[in-house]
Amino acid sequence: MGLEEALPSGVLLTTVEKFAGYARKGSLWPATFGLACCAIEMMAAGGPRFDIARYGMEVFRASPRQADLMIVAGRVSQKMAPVLRQIYDQMPNPKWVIAMGVCASSGGMFNNYAIVQGVDHVVPVDIYLPGCPPRPEMLFDAILKLHDKIQDTKLGANRRAEIVELEQVALTAPTTLEMKGLMR
Amino acid sequence: MTVTNNAPSGPSPDVAGAGTDVEVAVDLITVVVDGVEMRVPKGTLAIRAAEQLGIEVPRFCDHPLLDPVAACRACLIEVEGMPKPQPACAQVLSDGMEVRTQYSSEVARVAQEGVMEFLLLNHPLDCPVCDKGGECPLQNQAMSVGRPESRFTGAKREFEKPINVSAQVLLDRERCVSCARCTRFAEQIAGDPMIELLERGAKQQVGTAADEPFDSYFSGNTVQICPVGALTSASYRFRSRPFDLVSVPTACEHCASGCSLRTDYRRGVVTRRLAWDDPDVNEEWNCDKGRFAFAYLNQGRIESPMIREHGSLRVASWPEAIDAAARGLATARGSVGVLVGGRSTVEDAYAYSRFARTALATDHIDFRARQGSAEEAAFLSSKVAGAPVSAAYDDLESAPAVLLVSLEPEDESPIVFLRLRKAARAGTQVLSVGATATRSLGKMSGRLVSARPGDEANALRSLDDETRALLGQPGAVILVGERIAGSVGAASAVLELARETGAALAWVPRRSGERGALDAGALAGLLPGGRPLTDEQARRDVAAAWGVEAADLPSEPGLIGADLLEAARDGRLSALVVGGVELADFADPGLAVAAVENADFVVSLENHHSAVTELADVVLPVAVVTEKSGTFVNWEGRPRPFGQVFRDALTMSDARVLAMVAEAMGSSLPADVASIRKEMGALGPWTGARTPAPDTAPGASADGVVIASWRQLLDSGLMQEGEPHLAATARPTVAIVSASMAAALGETVTISGPAGSVTLPVVTGDVLDRVVWVPTNSPGCHIHADLGAVPGTPVQLSAGGAA
Amino acid sequence: MPELPQAVRGFGVTFLTMFKKVVTEQYPEQKVPPKPRFHGRHQLNRWADGLEKCVGCELCAWACPADAIFVEGADNSDQERFSPGERYGRVYQINYLRCIFCGLCIEACPTRALTMTNEYELADDSRAKLIYEKKDLLAPLLPGMVAPPHEMVPGTTERDYYANTVKGASPEQVTTSPAEAEEVAS
Repeated sequence: MGLEEALPSGVLLTTVEKFAGYARKGSLWPATFGLACCAIEMMAAGGPRFDIARYGMEVFRASPRQADLMIVAGRVSQKMAPVLRQIYDQMPNPKWVIAMGVCASSGGMFNNYAIVQGVDHVVPVDIYLPGCPPRPEMLFDAILKLHDKIQDTKLGANRRAEIVELEQVALTAPTTLEMKGLMR
Repeated sequence: MTVTNNAPSGPSPDVAGAGTDVEVAVDLITVVVDGVEMRVPKGTLAIRAAEQLGIEVPRFCDHPLLDPVAACRACLIEVEGMPKPQPACAQVLSDGMEVRTQYSSEVARVAQEGVMEFLLLNHPLDCPVCDKGGECPLQNQAMSVGRPESRFTGAKREFEKPINVSAQVLLDRERCVSCARCTRFAEQIAGDPMIELLERGAKQQVGTAADEPFDSYFSGNTVQICPVGALTSASYRFRSRPFDLVSVPTACEHCASGCSLRTDYRRGVVTRRLAWDDPDVNEEWNCDKGRFAFAYLNQGRIESPMIREHGSLRVASWPEAIDAAARGLATARGSVGVLVGGRSTVEDAYAYSRFARTALATDHIDFRARQGSAEEAAFLSSKVAGAPVSAAYDDLESAPAVLLVSLEPEDESPIVFLRLRKAARAGTQVLSVGATATRSLGKMSGRLVSARPGDEANALRSLDDETRALLGQPGAVILVGERIAGSVGAASAVLELARETGAALAWVPRRSGERGALDAGALAGLLPGGRPLTDEQARRDVAAAWGVEAADLPSEPGLIGADLLEAARDGRLSALVVGGVELADFADPGLAVAAVENADFVVSLENHHSAVTELADVVLPVAVVTEKSGTFVNWEGRPRPFGQVFRDALTMSDARVLAMVAEAMGSSLPADVASIRKEMGALGPWTGARTPAPDTAPGASADGVVIASWRQLLDSGLMQEGEPHLAATARPTVAIVSASMAAALGETVTISGPAGSVTLPVVTGDVLDRVVWVPTNSPGCHIHADLGAVPGTPVQLSAGGAA
Repeated sequence: MPELPQAVRGFGVTFLTMFKKVVTEQYPEQKVPPKPRFHGRHQLNRWADGLEKCVGCELCAWACPADAIFVEGADNSDQERFSPGERYGRVYQINYLRCIFCGLCIEACPTRALTMTNEYELADDSRAKLIYEKKDLLAPLLPGMVAPPHEMVPGTTERDYYANTVKGASPEQVTTSPAEAEEVAS
C-alpha cells in the first residue's frame, strides 16, 4: 500500500506503526450500511446528542471507495450478502468491519433460512456489538474498542508475522461442529 | 383381565376391532357419550370410548397396557343412573349406558376439579427443579381441569428426598399421586414386583423391601410412565428440559428385539432415550440397556484415520488412509478375510458383503463375532437367510406353546421375554430346553426341558409325546437362540422337530445386526437375499445387480468362523478387513488376536479404540448409530429403519468408507443408504433352491461338571460403558449350582477351565446336577478369556478361594 | 418591521442556538447513566450468605425467544453445595450475540436469580468471548458473603432461604468454606 509496508522491522517500524495507528483511528470514515432498526441508532449516533463527529467520523460515505469502516447495522438477508461483500471489496485497504447488533453478529433471534447467521460468514468482522438494537453509547463503545485495535495494528514485517500466527491459531481451532453448548 | 382396545383410535368407533383378525365376532353395544350415540365393542371402558370421540378425560393411573385400578380418581365422570361420579378408566360400558364427561356435566367437572385439588394437597409444586416439568401430565391437567387456587393452607407432607429404589431409579415420594402405574407395571408386565405401595391413607407411598432394590431389567419404563415427577432416572436427573430437546425416532442398536426408540438430544449430545410406541414390536416398553446405555456414543471415539508407521499408529488424512488401505488390500486381493461386526446395519453389512465379493474377490466373510459353527452356518443359510417372517411378536402372543432352545429371553432378547410373559399370562405354555430353570422362566410360568449343555440335540430328539403334542398344535413356535451354535447337532435336531410338529421356527440372535448381516450375505457361501453362492442363477442375478461378470464372483464358498481365523493366523490369508468386532467376543480370543496379529495387512473400520485397532495397519473411523441412517432387521425379519440423529455429523458410515476404498481399488460400491436400499430391494429375496439343511448327528455332553452360560443383559459389554448407574443394577456375578452341589461347595467356588480359573460366590438355583452356571461376560467372570471355556466345557470345581 | 429574507432568518436560528445549552453527551469521558429499568448485561444473584440463587431450572432458557441461554442443572451434594435445595445450575451460558435484552428470562426466573444490570459496554472482537459463562455472570461477593461451595446456614432449610429469612453467612460457614480456608492458609 504505502512506504510503511516496505520498512524493515525495528525501532523505526514500531514508531511508524504508532503514528499510522493514531492517524488511522482518528479519521475513520464509515460507509453507510444501515439495514434495519440498528440503523436508526446508528443515525442517532450521528445526531447532536451523541455526535459521532467527536471521533472524526461524521462523514458517512455513500461511496465505498472513500470509506474504511463498514458498520453493518441490521440483519443481513441472504440476498443482501453478496451486495454487502461487494461493497466491502470496493473499500480500499486498510478497512474494518463492525457487526452492529445481534442480527449482524450472529443472526440474533432470526435463526432461520432467510437471514445470514452472522455477517462474519461473508466478511471478516473486527468488533461484534451485542444489543437489539444497541444504543449509541454501545456503538461508541464498540468504536472506541476498534480504535484501540487500530492503534495496535502492526505493519510490514510485523504484520506478516502476525498473520502467520493468527493463521496457525485459526487452523488449530475446533470447527463449529465440534463445539458443544451455545457455540454450536 | 379387562379387554383393552389397542386398535388405532379412528374417527369412526365402528371400525374399532374390525381389521384385526379376531376369531370370535365382536359384540357391539350402543352407548351415549356426551350426547353422541356410538357403537363400541362390549367390554370397552368409558375412557376409551371418550377417546374415540376425541374427548380427553383427565387421567393419571390409566394406561392402556395395564389393568385398570381407578387409583387416582382423576377421571371421574357422570353415569346416568348412578348416584355418584364414576371413574371412567374402570367403568365398563354396557348397552344403552349414557355417560357425560366434564364437557357436558357439571357434576363431572366439579368432581374432577375436587380430585385435582386433592391430589395437589401434598404435592410440593417444585416444578422448577423437577425433571418432569414441561412434559408432566399433572402439570398439564392441573392447568386444564384444576382449580386456579388451592384452599389448602396446612403444612404439606414432607419426605426425605430422593431415595434410590435402585441405583438407576430415584423416587421423590412427596410428588407421588399414588397412581400405582409403576407397581402395576412391575407386577403385570415385567414380573419383578419389587416395588409396592406401602402404608395407608395420607402416608401411602411407593417403596421397596429394605434389602431388595428394584433391580429389574425394565425399571426404566416406570420412569417413563410415571405421570408425575416421582420416579426419575439418575442418568437424566437435572440434565435437561423437554422443550430444549430435539426428538428423533430411532431403532435400538443393542439387541435383535428391534425396539422403536425416541432419542432426545440437545446441542450435539444425546441426553436420553425413551421407548417409542410400536404396538407390533415393543408396545410401549423397552429394556434398561436400550434406554440408558448410550454414553458410549460420545466416549473414546476414534477421531481421525490412522496409519501404522514404524510400529505405531499416526494420524493421517482421509485420502492418505484410504489410499494406504486400497494399496494393501489390492496386493492381497483374493486372499483377504472379512470380519463383520454383529451390530452393523443391513446397509453396512451389504456393503461388506459386496466389497468382499467384488473389490476383494474373496468369499472369506463371517459376521459371527462369537462362537459359531459350520452347522449353524448351514442352518442359517438354509432356513433363515432372506426368508419371509416365520413367526412374529403377535404369533408369540397367540401361540398355544413356545419352545425356547438355547435362549434365555430376558437376558438375550428382553422384549421377546415381555411378549412371552404377556402370552403366558393369557395361557401360552412356555417350554425351555436348557440346564437351568431361571427366574425368567418362572415369570413366564414355563417348564424346563432338561438338557445338559452340549446335550440339547438328544433332548430335542427324545422329547416326550406330551411336549410334541403341545408343539403340534397350530400356531406353536420354536425360538432358537444364538447359543445353538455351541451345541453339536442341536440345529439339525431343531429343524427335524419343526418339520415333524409343523411348529414355526424363528432364530433369535442376540445382536441387532446379525439377522440383517445374514440377509445381506455377510457369510461365506451366501449371497444377499439368501442366495447360495454355488447356484449359477443366483450368481448371475447378483452379478447383474452389482454390474460385474458372474465369472468374476468367487465360486467356492469361503472360510468361516474358527477356520477363517486359523487361516489368518497360519498365514494362508494375507489380509483382514475387520469392522466393529471385539476380539474378546470370539469363543477363542487368543486365536482371534493371533489371527489379527499374524495377518500381513489389517484394515479396521471402528468407532472406538479396540484390540483390533491396536494391531491394525490402517484404522478408518466410522459413524455410530446416531451419526448415520440405516436399518436393523430384528429377529422376526422385520426391518427397523432409523434416521440420522445428528444430521451434521462429520463421520461416515461403514458403507461410505468401503465405497471410498473400493473406488481407490478401481471397483465401485453404492455409498449412500438410499441407493443401497434400492439395490437390495431390486435384488429381493431368493426363491430358488436353498442350500441344504444341516444334518449333524447329536453330540453328547462331556462328562463331569460342565459350564452352562450366557451373556447377561447388563454385563461387561463395551456399549454399556460410561453409565455407572446402569451397571450398578446388573445382576451380581455368581456361580449357580444345584442345592446338593452348593452344600458340598460352601460359600465360594473356584472354577478351573483349560485357560485359568475364577472364583465366584455360590448361589443355589434350579440347575441340573454336575452343571455350573456362570455369566459369559460379566465383571469378574469372562469365561472365554478367563477360563478358556464355552458352554459345555468340562471344568474343575473346588470349594473356597478368595472371592 | 419588514420581513427578513428566509436565508437570513435561517442564520438567526443558527446564531441563537450558540447560546443554548449543549446537548451533546461527552461519552466516554462523562457517561450518562441509563434509566434504572434499562436492560443491560445479566447478573446471577446470590443469597445473603453467598449461595447462588440459580437452581438450574432452565425456565429462562425456555422463555428466551432467541435461544440465547443454555443451562444445565446438577445435584448439590453434601460435599459441594452451590445453592440451597437439591439442584443448582452447573452450566450457565448466555450468548450475547443472540440475546435481544428483552427481559423475558428475568420474568421467568422463579427464584429471582437472574436480573439485569445497567452495564452496556459489551462489544468484543470474537464470538466466543461474547458467550458469557456462569463465572462472568455471577454477582460479586458482598461483605458478609462466602464463596460457594459451602453448607447452608446451620439450622436452616431451603425454605428459609426462599422466605428470605437468611440474612448473612454464619461464622461456621466462614470457617468451613474451602475458598476461605485457602485464603487463611496462604
